[in-house]
Amino acid sequence: MSRVAPTTTFARRPGATLAPNVYDDVPYEEKLALWEEVKADPRFPDYLYGCYECGICVAACPSARFYDFSPRRIAQAAAREDVELIFEQMNDDVWNCSQCFSCDRCPRQNSPGGLITILREVAVRHGLASSQEALEGYGRVVYKIMTTGTQVSPDMLQPDAFPDWGPDVKEVSDQLDLWRRALPPETLHTTSTGWEVSEKTLLELYLIWHYSDVMDMIEEVDEGLHMIILDVMEETLEEAGYEI
Amino acid sequence: MTSIIPVESLKTKPFRVDPSEAPTEDIREVLFELEEAGEIIVQRVPEPYVEVMTKYGRTKKIPLGQTWHHKSCGQCGHIPGYSTSIFWLTRKLGYDYIDPKDQTSCTAWNYYASATSNVAAQGGVAMRNFAAAYETGYFPLIHCGTSYGHYKEVRHEIVHHDDVRATVRDIMSKLGKPLVMPEEIVHYSEWVHAVRDQIAQHQVRDFSDIVACVHPACHYYKLIQEDAIYDPDIYGGQRTATVSGLILALGAEVADYSTFFDCCGFGFRHILVSRDFSRSFATMRKIEVMKEEANPDVVITHDTGCVTTLDKSQFAPQAHGRNVGVPVMSDAQFAALAMGAHPYRVCQLHWHSTDYRPLLEKMGIDWEAAWIEFEKDLKRLEANEIEYLTWEDVDG
Amino acid sequence: MGSDRLLVIGAGPAGLEAARLAASLGSQVLVVEKRDVAGGMPIHENYAALTHGFRDAGEAMAELIGAVTSHPNVELRTSTEVTAVEGSVGEFTVTLSSGTGDDTVEAGAIILATGFQHFDPGRETQQYGYYEFPDVITLADAEAMLKANNFVRPSNGEVPERVAFIQCVGSRDRQIGNEFCSKVCCGISSKQAIEVRQQVPDARVFIFYIDMRMYGYWENEIYWPAQEQYRVNYVKGIVTEILSKNGRLLVRGEDTTMGRPMEVPMDIVVLAVGMEPSLGTRKMAEMLGVATNKYGYIETPHGELDTVATSVPGVFAVGAATGPADLDDSISSAGAAAAKAVALLRGAEVTV
Repeated sequence: MSRVAPTTTFARRPGATLAPNVYDDVPYEEKLALWEEVKADPRFPDYLYGCYECGICVAACPSARFYDFSPRRIAQAAAREDVELIFEQMNDDVWNCSQCFSCDRCPRQNSPGGLITILREVAVRHGLASSQEALEGYGRVVYKIMTTGTQVSPDMLQPDAFPDWGPDVKEVSDQLDLWRRALPPETLHTTSTGWEVSEKTLLELYLIWHYSDVMDMIEEVDEGLHMIILDVMEETLEEAGYEI
Repeated sequence: MTSIIPVESLKTKPFRVDPSEAPTEDIREVLFELEEAGEIIVQRVPEPYVEVMTKYGRTKKIPLGQTWHHKSCGQCGHIPGYSTSIFWLTRKLGYDYIDPKDQTSCTAWNYYASATSNVAAQGGVAMRNFAAAYETGYFPLIHCGTSYGHYKEVRHEIVHHDDVRATVRDIMSKLGKPLVMPEEIVHYSEWVHAVRDQIAQHQVRDFSDIVACVHPACHYYKLIQEDAIYDPDIYGGQRTATVSGLILALGAEVADYSTFFDCCGFGFRHILVSRDFSRSFATMRKIEVMKEEANPDVVITHDTGCVTTLDKSQFAPQAHGRNVGVPVMSDAQFAALAMGAHPYRVCQLHWHSTDYRPLLEKMGIDWEAAWIEFEKDLKRLEANEIEYLTWEDVDG
Repeated sequence: MGSDRLLVIGAGPAGLEAARLAASLGSQVLVVEKRDVAGGMPIHENYAALTHGFRDAGEAMAELIGAVTSHPNVELRTSTEVTAVEGSVGEFTVTLSSGTGDDTVEAGAIILATGFQHFDPGRETQQYGYYEFPDVITLADAEAMLKANNFVRPSNGEVPERVAFIQCVGSRDRQIGNEFCSKVCCGISSKQAIEVRQQVPDARVFIFYIDMRMYGYWENEIYWPAQEQYRVNYVKGIVTEILSKNGRLLVRGEDTTMGRPMEVPMDIVVLAVGMEPSLGTRKMAEMLGVATNKYGYIETPHGELDTVATSVPGVFAVGAATGPADLDDSISSAGAAAAKAVALLRGAEVTV
């Protein structure tokens, strides 16, 4: 049996963890690879120092009040490199975070919210089922961005999309075209896009996503969506004379 | 009163922050160093500008005019009175600006909600927008709190991570664009704060009876905390002065409440797909607390997500007998109303959910007459007599 | 020409002890103090009982001051500041300024005992509202009230029912830049908590902490009695916000034992503010050209085996001028510096 070097952390011995192993069907090596990817993100050193469990992050966190969620446990798991717990959090906890960054009040200057951003990205990049589930219903926003350059458009205000926002939504949706023309700013006379975006601008946005591999991420989240976007955008790009 | 308490003498000295003791670097200095090294172009704040104080006592330059308005998706999409009011204020105070079509969303809402992006893409989107502004010679003014906080983050990443900067520069060059960073990242509410005395000079409606609760946006002051406006004369410099400063300048009252620093509950992702959280949080941690402790006439905030969450979350809880029902609007709309703006043509309050009419009455605005005027505009539009409502129409 | 006089800058506990010992060893000592009274922080901030022995601060300081002022080898000048220093070990020329004008003196060795100041809570990262809410006070404010046996809510003069201490205010914080631990605040808060329970027996007292740091005998002399005899409630989890609700303070933190956010009303909140180098320490360090660390404290470059020598031969630093220090530390280092200074003045080798 090989000698265990003194610098070996718990995490390097498969199965040895400080948390009960919930996802034991997933091989340890896979979990470790995901964690290594998190650590390799350029922002990681800015987001994790040490944690002395002061609890300021939890005290300030809105999600901690409504979910069984704790930014302190996120920072602790990361600091301990508890791969099993981190994988569990990547699946079960990270989507509870409201990304408000109240936790940036951390006196050690950790950013649990920032760690969560990276954890989420890694989950999405690898098509974890939990991330796909968390983002069900989100596809329309991604589609909207890609095809209009804006994240939110007036025509998204449909009563069946926002039933809890009240009867005004129906009124807005019924009057949409008219009300949009009753807006003085020249770029706001639109319904399918937040404001009028020039075609060149739109294509530049797509190219940014293409060159930075975001399109690959979208493929993991929603294959159908990916196909639609590719079709629409590549046709537009071709017409505009771009070659990629 | 109290007997001799030595505490008194210790407490009478006011808090004065000393910028030489600032615990963080000044990122603008690092930016200029990068510019010297040929790594990036820094777009300077045009004159005239106003200097305001930030958290650690440093000064920040706020341009008055020649601004390139970086619009907000949520505002333009769902609460267009917010954007309209910002433009209206700019025009009324006589400053020139550009309302660009060469602007994409910052995509930060998507990013914080779904993480279907990465640091290079986010940097690319930001830099593309900044380059677009630079190409016009006008200085970017950010309409949304989320965009603002996110761009501050992006600035930090691009300045401090050579690999990220290199990747983003590469993407920019493929688009034929230079790598440009503005000298300051300026939120429109900082501009409103900087010109609040000018706004007050143009005030025509009496706000002395109005009680407002302020909700400061998390992404304005909690992200990159040193870059937010603080003022020793407002909250003793202990809370951000943005928004509160404007309300005080307009003669209204700012009422405190015990969840001032709480998030609104927008959650980015939650507002779409975990709505019970946003709704519950906004109601239980913000609106109900404000109503119980301060009973305000209005809630004023300075971010798209906050206006949306706080305004739209008040309908459903009525079914549960919750204590809700305070109108919500932005500082820009509030300021515009003070300066005599039309509640519908300019502030576009018909897009808001919670009833704002009692507030308008308190401001001395005949909203019924105003609505009739607006309905006439709508009729003219319907009949295609006019294609759109114009700036000339709203000032008539 | 050399001088065999020792100059001690600062008449707090450390400075006084150094002067007393040097004088009793036969040296001539000049003590200068910029305030108009001697005694340093225990007097200036109205300390009630000393930590950790609970001896009356005024009485203890009176003894120390008396020992110094009554000694024929010591001259004490209050309301006097050092405004210029020239020369080197064995022959420093020092300009002193006071109400009556300037004076120049010679000294062979200098002991810096310029001490600390408290962290100003206005610079805190968390939202404690010290400058907004009269009932949010610091350890110094509390000490003054306890000394006057008048521990009441500053806002209305009423006796408090619930009192909270918040630890590590301005210390152990990377965002503020004071990453060090201020060493004494856990002990002082616990001592004050005991005093509050003694003076206001019906009050419930809470201490919100990250770690409880009471080393050596402080553990059994202060921490255990606070919990066991005086029923002070120690909650592991620090506070992030203090606001006002229904006329009381609302304190928001995490109770990490329970693992959930906690929001509780309090009548008085005492901020356990940390130590920073005083203005005097910074000024003197610059004037004498001694090396300081990144926090502005005077560096003692020889580590564990020499806690008082600075980077400048002939200049020693004691007490809280070198870093967070409790009274025991200050008295001990003062003795070490006095002995070394006297040895120097008697012709011993200067080792740097």
